[in-house]
Amino acid sequence: MRQQYAIRSLILVACLAIVGVAVVVQMIRIQSSEQAQIFLSQGDRYAGEFHMVYPERGEIYDRQGHLLAGNRTVYEVGVSLSEMGNPEAMARILSSYLGLTFEEVYDKLTNSPESWEYIVVQDYVGAETVASLQALMQQLAETNDQRLSGLGFKPHFQRSYPETALASNVLGFVTRDGRGYFGIEEKYNDLLAGNPVQVWVPRDPNKAMEIPRVPNGTTLVLTLHRDLQASVESILDDALFEYGAENGTIIIMDPQNGEILAMAATPRMNLNDYGNYFSLYDNGSQYNRSIGMAYEPGSVFKVLTMAAALDTGTVRPDTQFIDTGSIQVGGITIQNWNRDAWGQQNMVGCLQHSLNVCLAWVSSQMGSQTFYGYMERFGLGHPTGIDLSGEAMGRLKIPGDTDWYPVDLGTNAFGQGVSVTPLQMLMAVSAIANDGRMVTPHVLYSMVRDGHQYNVPSQYAGSPITAETAHTLSEMLAISLEEESSQALLAGYRLAGKTGTAQIPTDFGYDAFHTNVSFVGWGPVDDPQFMIYIWLQKPSASIWSSETTAPVFSKVAEQTVIQLNIPPDIVRSQLSNH
Amino acid sequence: MQAAQIIHAHKQAPWRVQRQWVGAFLLAVIGMAMIAALYLDVTARAAVTGREIQELRTEITTIQQTNADLETQLANMTSTIEMQRRALVLGYRPVKPGELDYVAVPGFFVPEPKILLVAEDTPPQVYSLPPEYSQSLIEWFDERIRFGGAR
Repeated sequence: MRQQYAIRSLILVACLAIVGVAVVVQMIRIQSSEQAQIFLSQGDRYAGEFHMVYPERGEIYDRQGHLLAGNRTVYEVGVSLSEMGNPEAMARILSSYLGLTFEEVYDKLTNSPESWEYIVVQDYVGAETVASLQALMQQLAETNDQRLSGLGFKPHFQRSYPETALASNVLGFVTRDGRGYFGIEEKYNDLLAGNPVQVWVPRDPNKAMEIPRVPNGTTLVLTLHRDLQASVESILDDALFEYGAENGTIIIMDPQNGEILAMAATPRMNLNDYGNYFSLYDNGSQYNRSIGMAYEPGSVFKVLTMAAALDTGTVRPDTQFIDTGSIQVGGITIQNWNRDAWGQQNMVGCLQHSLNVCLAWVSSQMGSQTFYGYMERFGLGHPTGIDLSGEAMGRLKIPGDTDWYPVDLGTNAFGQGVSVTPLQMLMAVSAIANDGRMVTPHVLYSMVRDGHQYNVPSQYAGSPITAETAHTLSEMLAISLEEESSQALLAGYRLAGKTGTAQIPTDFGYDAFHTNVSFVGWGPVDDPQFMIYIWLQKPSASIWSSETTAPVFSKVAEQTVIQLNIPPDIVRSQLSNH
Repeated sequence: MQAAQIIHAHKQAPWRVQRQWVGAFLLAVIGMAMIAALYLDVTARAAVTGREIQELRTEITTIQQTNADLETQLANMTSTIEMQRRALVLGYRPVKPGELDYVAVPGFFVPEPKILLVAEDTPPQVYSLPPEYSQSLIEWFDERIRFGGAR
């Protein structure tokens, strides 16, 4: 009996052992089968997800720490389709909150591909709208109402410009794909945007991986002075209105280091609404006329001609010239702006009365090789190298070019037949305001990254003239303004400058009715701390620079000395004696 | 002699052999249960900490976004247009050059722009997870055996 039980027990144990072994074998077979790999890969798909961690775009400040470009949180509003209860109710609510039509939202919710689990209803939704929706969701959840079940919000950053249109021509803008266009945003896009990092984020908390720290984009500090920029933009807008000009630009630069303190241009756009770009600009060169548009500058160019002549010793300030009202250069007759003969003049008088005939004679005395050699050393025909995108080169024809004629030596001397950008002129003239040393204009003051600040050193672009020539010419231009009782003068400050009225070339010769008016000036003459360049396009109230840009220069200079705390000359001399 | 036989019989009693087997089996079960409990404890703690890390990570992101929002809001409130509007409401007007007085103050320097002072020359921080979040149970045992409770 006992033995019979033992045999039965052994049989039972054997059966159970076989079942157990079979289970183990089956487990091994399943785990090593081809299908197992498919199941494993399906499981891996839900084990976590790849996240592209985008660093916060670097901020942009002015030189005083005012935020010019920052970031704000906006939301992607989406719906998890598997959790959605009532698409009609969802569409009705979302359309009223998001400003979309019911049909638009309903179509998205119901006609999405079957494989989709999540659908974006609208992106870049403001925080206020999302807060309202979240409050409504909470209310509905309290009453177990399923109308908004499945609704979700994903926050992310959007570029924000607190000053809206201020310095828009310098800053540029960032589109929704995160790319910068124009100005600083384009030039320093890689630095500002930082380096995005793709990381695998597991859902299993046991596998909490270390997410690499993604440093924010580099913060930039500009040389711009926000309040001065605002004042200059206001003056420019008033000038366009007062003189009926089509467009204009004003640049203020520190002649000692090339820092751009203000750069105003028209038209400007609200950077928070960059969709207006195409309605404001026909092409990219119009975005910042200070650097993007070359034009014939007219008589402001005489400053460079005179600088070259003084530097070579061709003339001295007291060199006499008898103006007969015309001169032949290359077989073509050149006349003064009013076609009059101004009689005996010294070089100060030539500049003061802006005599074309005199300056054409000066350039002829120098000869084309010397004249164009100096113009190239002043950087004409080459980009200035400013750290803004979209800079134009202008054009300086030189002997040997197919379109250069001998008369160009005479006309170029007073700024006709040569094209420059306002910034090129400012850079060239900086040699006169800065002891003969020409500065490279720049907008970036410093970069801040990981707690380190890297200041941008000033760069010099050569010394086309000697310091002595620069001082002599500064004095001549200051005297010419004073003797002319120019509207450019500012009480208490000694300034140097030159007007420029230029005809506008067309396909059929020069426009007989419109001009471009310009002014370049700097001060205080004994210690120049600012340079100003003004260009107004086609003013209708007056075609003359002396009646348009000269008074504008005075207003800009007034704001500059106030904002930069530059005391009047007499006070400055008293303070320096302390 | 008889006593020895009794002891021998006692040692070979079937119930005694069974008890030894049961004891050994129970010992193994208890050992496995202890290991399982320890594993569960470590796993649960790791899971809770992992979840806390995820929440902290979300919190960091939220705080960064809040910071950026607040900074932009502050910039909006102190923008040129807004400050000019508030100044005019308070009765201020733009100053003219002749209305300014300049005074020499010995030892006074124009303060540096604030943004330039904020940036300190600090070395970048190195972040790393403690080993609790990455080591296996065997590695943990090994560490405890070799270094004891203290690390």
